[in-house]
Amino acid sequence: MRPVIRATLHYLALVVISAIWLIPVYAMLINGFKSNLAVLSTPVLVPPTSFSLSAYHIVFNALERPLLNSLIVVIPTALISTFLGAMGAYFFYTLTYSFSKFLSSLSDFLFSLITLATFIPYQATLIPLTRLVVSMGLLDNYLGIMFAMLIFYIPTGALLMSMFISVVPRSIIEAAKLDGAGDLKIFMKLILPLSLPGFISTLIFIIIEAWNNFFIPLVLVTTPGMRLIPVAVESYTGGYGTIYNETFAAAVIASIIPLAIFIFLGRYFIRGLIALGGGGKGV
Amino acid sequence: MKKSAIILVIPTMAFTIILLYLVIWNAVVSFMNWSLLNPKPYFVGLQTYLSVMKQFQFVNSLVHSLELSATLVVVGNVLGILFASLLYFLSSNKVRSVFLSIIIYPLAISMAVDALIWLWLYNIDIGIDWVLVKIGLPKFPWLSSTSTMFPSLILVTIWAYSGLATLFYLAGFMNIDKTIIEAAKLDGAGSFKILRKILLPNSLNSFIISTALLFLFSFRIFSLPYILSGGPTNIFLQTLVVYMYYLFTVEFFSQATAVATIVTLIASIVILPYALVIIRRWIRR
Amino acid sequence: MVKIIAKNISKYFKKRNGYVIALDDVSLTVESGARFGILGPSGAGKTTFMRIIAGLEVPTKGELYFDDKLVASNNKIIVPPEDRKIGMVFQTWALYPNLTAFDNIAFPLTNMKLSKEEIRKRVEEIAKILDIGHVLDHYPRELSGGQQQRVALARALVKNPSLLLLDEPFSNLDARMRDSARALVKDVQEKLGVTLIIVSHDPADIFSIADNVGVLVKGKLVQVGRPEDVYNNPVTIEVANLIGEINELEGKVTKEGVIVGNLKFPLDKSYKSERVIVGIRPEDVKFTKDLINDENWILVGKGVVKVIGYQGGMFRITVTPLEGSEDEEIVTYMDHPLKRKEEVLIYVKKGSVKIFET
Ligand SMILES: Nc1ncnc2c1ncn2[C@@H]1O[C@H](COP(=O)(O)OP(=O)(O)OP(=O)(O)O)[C@@H](O)[C@H]1O
Ligand SMILES: [Mg+2]
Repeated sequence: MRPVIRATLHYLALVVISAIWLIPVYAMLINGFKSNLAVLSTPVLVPPTSFSLSAYHIVFNALERPLLNSLIVVIPTALISTFLGAMGAYFFYTLTYSFSKFLSSLSDFLFSLITLATFIPYQATLIPLTRLVVSMGLLDNYLGIMFAMLIFYIPTGALLMSMFISVVPRSIIEAAKLDGAGDLKIFMKLILPLSLPGFISTLIFIIIEAWNNFFIPLVLVTTPGMRLIPVAVESYTGGYGTIYNETFAAAVIASIIPLAIFIFLGRYFIRGLIALGGGGKGV
Repeated sequence: MKKSAIILVIPTMAFTIILLYLVIWNAVVSFMNWSLLNPKPYFVGLQTYLSVMKQFQFVNSLVHSLELSATLVVVGNVLGILFASLLYFLSSNKVRSVFLSIIIYPLAISMAVDALIWLWLYNIDIGIDWVLVKIGLPKFPWLSSTSTMFPSLILVTIWAYSGLATLFYLAGFMNIDKTIIEAAKLDGAGSFKILRKILLPNSLNSFIISTALLFLFSFRIFSLPYILSGGPTNIFLQTLVVYMYYLFTVEFFSQATAVATIVTLIASIVILPYALVIIRRWIRR
Repeated sequence: MVKIIAKNISKYFKKRNGYVIALDDVSLTVESGARFGILGPSGAGKTTFMRIIAGLEVPTKGELYFDDKLVASNNKIIVPPEDRKIGMVFQTWALYPNLTAFDNIAFPLTNMKLSKEEIRKRVEEIAKILDIGHVLDHYPRELSGGQQQRVALARALVKNPSLLLLDEPFSNLDARMRDSARALVKDVQEKLGVTLIIVSHDPADIFSIADNVGVLVKGKLVQVGRPEDVYNNPVTIEVANLIGEINELEGKVTKEGVIVGNLKFPLDKSYKSERVIVGIRPEDVKFTKDLINDENWILVGKGVVKVIGYQGGMFRITVTPLEGSEDEEIVTYMDHPLKRKEEVLIYVKKGSVKIFET
């Protein structure tokens, strides 16, 4: 009997925790389908009795443009960050086993810098960053947002890819060197294909981070038409008397892409997170 | 190593140097007097820092930031260990990854969206309080009282980030040689004993990583207080980065750069050792 | 083909506290077209030496010449690895896992501005020699160990290198396949005439492939010579051990000979030290119950059988001296077993006893 009770308690604990953890997503999923009338009469945690798409209809019309803006900015940013970061990571990889003391101290220095760029509270760069973007004439411009994001996400890409590239056996690269292949060729023909799962993890991690970035688009966009999705949904903050079905519909629309990625490619996202913490196997 | 390899690192370096430039620019300007009233900056030494540090709002937001980070580090680690052990002792890998996904999915959602959702969940009429009243408990004031406002915000970050610690503890546990655990089981050790005697003593690394990352992530949380308070001005929810943004919006540029430099310094105290110890160790195995 | 000259090469690796001396003042010449073996225990610096020749590592001190061209000296790489015309087979083979066998072998050629036709021709040529023509479209993980090893060899050879480096190329093969692999390497080398350096801690590799061998111990090159000469006249007991099985006995020098318990070994010359090590190869020992009337075999005393083993179709008999030094052991191989605790006469072959001063 005892082991059965133990196992039951074990699962019960997990189920209770999961239920609590899922409350926000539950609220998000049910409330977007409530009609304006239902909103006035039902609390947030009670499911709707009838389904209405009106909130989605209204919100999607308003968020279509920000959604598109986000896609236009985030996908290229993530691809560029991962690719250029991977190139940088390969360079670090060749540095860490280089012959000279100078180069290996240099690599420590560069490494500290990319880690700083990855983890720094990017809000701290607000003033110089906006000035820089304004002086480049890129305020309210896709390129301006991308440029600002690249400052943080290329180093992130380099950091994560360094973790993933470090598992490529050194002898393979040495063999390629002896075979007369140049570094660019080694990178394209061997490093990239051999660290492809890591590349995908990094890409996905950066897509999600960039997609959810609120601050950079907040300060680099002044015209409503250029808003990215996390900033655009800000206008759905409710107060008393506001109709919350739109808030939740907006929340769903803003998170649908990262959540879909998480559901279908969660493994890669998790590997990206783990790489952020300097590796770790299992899971 | 051939010189051609340097081409590969140029993009990464270029953008990293831009970042360094931004950080240094902040530091330099923080020694100048520059604001809406003084459009021509000139050198004033530490004066800006002194005046910033005397401000109630600065101290208030610094305390908030540290309070948030410290609480999240402590609670995140505790919950991380709890959740990771619950997950570790599951026998099915599939079930484990389902529960793990549930605990870490908030990491995939924008803090801005979290703010939207929790604003409603914290509603004292139709949010969680409705349930509390239904089951006969008293209402909790959440965001509607100044004393519970900030703890409510911290609660959201705990929900959002505990998964991070869970992940690192679980990864640490899974790295421990299975045969050791099996041997302990054969010796009759219960799960709790295995946790205490084998899993936790081998989790120093997970602890360091979780602590560093929880600190760094919480230190830069912006959209949550910003949206929960409808802008950067609510002093009860102001963290350092929000306060800095506030200084920017009112065009106290020098003060904003001084706060930014302080933020960068505090973060660097954690980031640099982390880079040089944990991450380098992994890469140079 | 190329002649390799190493002059006073040393290599230090930095460690947390101080240095590891991986190579200590190694000087060596490998003639053009020769087959040279490097033998040494684990950690002796064999791989390090090989990597310095390949240019993957830089010598801390000393110079390395390819013919009369200086390629590396005193912490400087002068000719980078890709310009040294080297084919190398790594200890782990280091095949490119994402490329087929064909593309693996073709990889060096794609860096040489050759036409597709030419590349195909050369890959197929070498694949035919190494008998892997039928698996060219397989990925490394789809190949057997022996096939992988031959693909690695093909990749090293396809670019017509002047120097072929093999770092323990057979250690990942099972014992059955090693002999044919060794024969193949030797055949191919003879066909192509490339200078060959093979590193190993297995004397079988050296005997079957190398014309000359250098023995590395703790970073020092302690002996160079033909494998048979090193086998018969090793300079230290350690070298003797490395290049083949040998019995080691601790003895005391007296006027009549070297005394080990009740055994007495003949002396060929006088020794300064009193304590010496007696080394005898198993094939230079015989255990019998009867006297042998053959002046090539010398009776050294009585022993008692301690262990009987079976290996390679022979009985491996371990005998200890009857009295005095029961810890000392002598081993030989016989075609018939002896009984445990049985007393036997111990004979050694004339002129075969090696005495090492400690
Ligand atoms: N990159 C390195 N950094 C530090 N020490 C090293 C490095 N490479 C080799 N060494 C050290 O140098 C010594 C010689 O190593 P090497 O790999 O050359 O030995 P080896 O003879 O090839 O051994 P094995 O038979 O085990 O392959 C060893 O003590 C080793 O620990
Ligand atoms: Mg070796």
